[in-house]
Amino acid sequence: MWGKVYSGFGYWDVYFWLLFFVIAAGMILFIRALGRSDYKEGTEQDEIFYGSNEVPEDGADMGVPAASAYWGFVEALRPYYDWLVELHTGIASDYVGYFVLTVAAVAVLVLL
Amino acid sequence: MNWQIHLPALALAVPLLGAFVSPVAGLGGRLTRNAWMVLVSMATTAICILLWQRVIAGGTVVYVMGAEAWNITLPSGLSWPIRIILEVDAFSAFMVVVGSIAALAGAFFSLRFMDKFTGLEKFSALFFLLVTGMLGMQLTGDLFNFFVFLEIASVASFGLIAFWRDRPEAVEASFKYMVVSTISAMFVLIAVGFFYGRYNAVNIAAVARMLHMGYAEKIALVFIVVSLAMKCGAVPMHMWTPDAYAEAPAGVTCLLVAVSQASLYGLFRVCFSLYGASLGSTVVPWTIIVMGVLSMFIGVTMAVIQKEMKRLMAYHSVSQIGYILMALGVGLLSLKDPQAMADYGFTAMKGGIFHIINYTMYKGLLFLTAGAVFYSAGTRNLNELGGLARVMPLTTFMFAIAAAAIAGLPPFNGFVSKLLIYQSTFAVYPLLAVAALVTSVLTLASFVKVFQTAFLGPAKKTFEKVTEVPASMLLGMSVLTIVIVALTLFPGWTLSHLVEPAAKALVDQAGYISAVMGGGL
Amino acid sequence: MTGNAPFLVVGIIFFLGMYAILFERNLIKIAIGITLLEASANLLLIVLGYRTGGSIPIYTLAGGTRTMVLPTPQALTLTAIVIGLATSALLLSLIILLYRHYGTLDVREIRRLRG
Repeated sequence: MWGKVYSGFGYWDVYFWLLFFVIAAGMILFIRALGRSDYKEGTEQDEIFYGSNEVPEDGADMGVPAASAYWGFVEALRPYYDWLVELHTGIASDYVGYFVLTVAAVAVLVLL
Repeated sequence: MNWQIHLPALALAVPLLGAFVSPVAGLGGRLTRNAWMVLVSMATTAICILLWQRVIAGGTVVYVMGAEAWNITLPSGLSWPIRIILEVDAFSAFMVVVGSIAALAGAFFSLRFMDKFTGLEKFSALFFLLVTGMLGMQLTGDLFNFFVFLEIASVASFGLIAFWRDRPEAVEASFKYMVVSTISAMFVLIAVGFFYGRYNAVNIAAVARMLHMGYAEKIALVFIVVSLAMKCGAVPMHMWTPDAYAEAPAGVTCLLVAVSQASLYGLFRVCFSLYGASLGSTVVPWTIIVMGVLSMFIGVTMAVIQKEMKRLMAYHSVSQIGYILMALGVGLLSLKDPQAMADYGFTAMKGGIFHIINYTMYKGLLFLTAGAVFYSAGTRNLNELGGLARVMPLTTFMFAIAAAAIAGLPPFNGFVSKLLIYQSTFAVYPLLAVAALVTSVLTLASFVKVFQTAFLGPAKKTFEKVTEVPASMLLGMSVLTIVIVALTLFPGWTLSHLVEPAAKALVDQAGYISAVMGGGL
Repeated sequence: MTGNAPFLVVGIIFFLGMYAILFERNLIKIAIGITLLEASANLLLIVLGYRTGGSIPIYTLAGGTRTMVLPTPQALTLTAIVIGLATSALLLSLIILLYRHYGTLDVREIRRLRG
C-alpha cells in the first residue's frame, strides 16, 4: 500500500525491486562462495594480476587519475567541450553579462 | 490549539533568536555554543513539522503580523489587507519541512567540521540568519517581505561562503556570487515596485486578485522569473554555483542547497499563485522548460570533466535544478487546460515537487560526504584521492546511497521522481524526456567516476593515517540518510501525504487568494 | 512630459549602473555601479508614491491639504536603503580581502575558479 506509486502510464512498486535485489544478491553470493579457499596467503597466489607487470608498492602508482576518466567521451565531443569550457570564463562581469542577456532575451520573447 | 496559531511566526522567531544569542552562547566556550546550535536547530525542525501537520489538517494557515488577533487579514471592513501576512499553504509547509531538515543536518555536521577555525559563534549566528531567511522566503505572503528575506538569506550566505577568508578562492567565490546576487535582487525590487505602482498593494493575494496583464506586469514577470531562476542556479546564469558551493564549508553548502530551493519556491509562487490563470501566452512556461533542459544538459556535461569533488557535485546541482524547472514548467504549461492537467500536468507537478525533497536530501548528503572526505584526507582533488573505503566505511556507504539516489537507480527515491518526470514530459514533447534520460546516464557516469577514484581503488601511502570522521558529523549525515531511506521505502505515502497536497495547493490560485481576502479563517 | 521626468532619471541611473558593472574593470568601480543600481531602484519606489499636490503623509502636520503622498513606499525604500548599506559594506570588505590575496583589483585577473 505504501510502496506503490501510480504514474501516468504505469506503476512503480518498491517492494518488488527490493525483492529482486535480495534474490540477485543471493545468487551473486552463491557464485562467490563457489571459489576455492585452499590458496596460500602471502605468496604469488595472493597477488593481484597487474598485466604481468611488477605490482607497485604504493597504491598511488597503480591508480588511474580522475582527470583521464572518460577520455574517449570528452575527445569525441571535443568541439562542444572546447566551446563550453571557454564560455565559463570565471570573470565576474561576464556572469552579470549572461544574466542581463537572458533578461533581455526573455523580455523580447514575452513582450512580442 | 491556542499556542499553535503562532507557529508561522515562531518558525521565523526561533532561528532569529538563535542567531542573535549565538555570540552570547559562545562566551561560555565550545560546549555551550554547540549545545545552543543543536537546541535551536532541533526546535526549528520541530516547529516546522508541527506547522506542516497543522496545515495538512486544517487547510491554509494565515498569520497577520501585528494585528489584534492572528487572523484579522482585512481589518474593520477594509477590502485590502494592510499588514504583513504570512500565508502557509501545503506547498509552503512542504518546503519549510524540507529546508529545516537540511538545516538540522548541516548544523550537526558543522559542530566538528569547523574545529580548526576561530570566530565560530559568528558562524553559528550567520548560519541561523541564513535559516531565518530561507524560512521567511517560504512562509511569507507579501512580495516586499519576500525581497527582504531574500536579501537576509543572501547576505548571510555571502558571509558564510567567504568564511575561510584565508583562502583566496573562497573570497573570490563569495565576491562573484555577491555581484550577481545583488543585481538580481535589485531586479526583484524593481519588479515589486512595478506591482506596487500599479495596484497599490504588495500582498501576493491582493495583487493576484486585481491582476490584469499589461506591459508593466509582463516586464515584472520577466524580471522575477529570470532573477529567481538565477538564484536557483539555472543556465545560463549558473556560473556562480560551482564557485560558491565548492568553496563554502560543507555544512553551509548543505544549507545553501535548501536556500536555492526557497528561491525556486518564490519562482513558482509568483508563476502559479500570483499570475496563475492570467499568465497570458505560453512563452513563460516554455522559457522555464527550455532553461530546465539547458541546465540539465550543460550542468551534467560540465560535471563529467571536473577534477574537484565539490565542484563536480555543484554542477550536478545545476542539472538537478533543471529537472525540477522542466517538470514544473510542464505543469505551468497545462495550467489553463484542465484536460492536459489531468493527463500529464499534475503528474509532472507531483514529479517535480517530489524531486525537490529528493534532491535536497541526496544533494545535501553528497556535499556532507565530500566535506567528510575533505576533513579526513585534507584534499578535494580527485586526482590525489583514492582507496578511502577501507578506512571510512560509513562515509562510503552513505555516499553510495546518495550517489545511487541522484543517478536515479531503482529502488531509490530518485528513480520514482524521475519516472514521473519522464512519463509526463514525454507527453508534451518527446525530446524533453530524451534529454532527461541522457542526463540521468551522464549523472551515473560522473558519480561512478567519483566513487571509484575517491573511495575504491588501492590504498595510497599518503592516506595511511586517515580515520573515520567524528560522531557528530556522522550524525548529521545519517539524518539525511534516514530520510532518503524512508522516502525510498514509502514512496506511496510520501506522494499522497506530502507531495499531492502541495501540488494541489500550488494549482489552486483561488484558494490562495481567498485565504487572505476572505477575511481570514 | 514633466510628470514623467523622475522615471526618466530612474532609467538613466539604472543604465549608468549597468554600464559600470558590465564594462568596468576595476572592482571598486563595479561596486559603485551596484550602488547606482540600488539607488535607481530606491528612487523608483519613492517616485511611485507621489501624488500630485500631495503633502507629507503625517496626519498632524499636513495642515489643511487633503491629498498626501503615499507613506508605504517610503517605508519600503528605507528598508531597501538599509539592505543596500549592508551589501555595500560587505562588498567593499570583500574587495579589501581580494586585494590582499590577489594583489590586483582587475576583475579579469581574479579568475582562479573557472572551467
